[in-house]
Amino acid sequence: MTKGRQKLRICVAGSAGGHINQLLRLSSGWRGHNTFFVTTKKVVQEKLQQYGKVYIVGECNRQRPFMCIIVLLRCIRIIFKEHPDVVISTGAAPGVMLCFISKILGGKIVWIDSIANVERLSLSGRLVRPFADLFLTQWSTVANEYSKVEFVGVVI
Amino acid sequence: MIFLTVGTVFPFDRLVRAIDIATGNGLIEEEVFAQIGTTSFQPTHLRYVDFLDKYTFDQYFKKSTFLISHAGIGTIATALDFAKPLLVMPRMRCFNEHVNDHQIATARRFEKDGYLLAAYNVEEIPAKIEQLKSFVPRRRQTQAEEVAERISVFLNELCELRK
Repeated sequence: MTKGRQKLRICVAGSAGGHINQLLRLSSGWRGHNTFFVTTKKVVQEKLQQYGKVYIVGECNRQRPFMCIIVLLRCIRIIFKEHPDVVISTGAAPGVMLCFISKILGGKIVWIDSIANVERLSLSGRLVRPFADLFLTQWSTVANEYSKVEFVGVVI
Repeated sequence: MIFLTVGTVFPFDRLVRAIDIATGNGLIEEEVFAQIGTTSFQPTHLRYVDFLDKYTFDQYFKKSTFLISHAGIGTIATALDFAKPLLVMPRMRCFNEHVNDHQIATARRFEKDGYLLAAYNVEEIPAKIEQLKSFVPRRRQTQAEEVAERISVFLNELCELRK
């Protein structure tokens, strides 16, 4: 970012583990903008704090539907409070929630599908793709199978 | 020291038990330290904790001679960063170890390219541990800079539009 340019408010969202790991490798992509993080577990909070504010929403997935509701409410609160211009996410479920809520309020979505999905897009990715403004996969073979999906390279 | 890590989200009793047995019967001679997460099985032949903070986790990672883990992409990537020999066993949905079987595809892909060793069931573990002792992982090239640049271009275009 050059000086004097308008800064964007960016939500960087990734579950603890591989999801947030991949996002952190891309941090030069949003350098100069105003960022905050959303992740799922306290274990990564310390590492993220050096880059900006960190929200912990808790872990949820298809096997824990009740927790999903709590996480959803937390995500809604965060988006209403922070009003990000862009959500950048690799998933998983909480990343999808943040993308959707933000989109409803006029935000943009940048999705980087996790490299862990080698055969097709992740379920999260397939849900987000129709609404994404920039959608990247880390497998060239996967990019060929979907429209609006770009392959630039692997993150990890 | 061998570092065993199975992530923090789902339990992975099969792998932790298998490594505990391998340590107990002398197949693994080195000291093993494990982060077992939500695994309910309690090992008796190795030192373990439930969770490590990221900093301590990285310290164990760096100190280890070999790594054994689930086929989680975070662990695989970190192992490749530090050029550590890694043996993975994919989590399987039928054992309630994950929401789906994507770790099997991940393990196959990275194994095929020479980045790691993989055991697809408990029975394969002893032979793979023997292989691990002399395994040299292939170095991995990534394009994180290029991907970051693509995101940067997108964000800058967005700024231009908003002017």
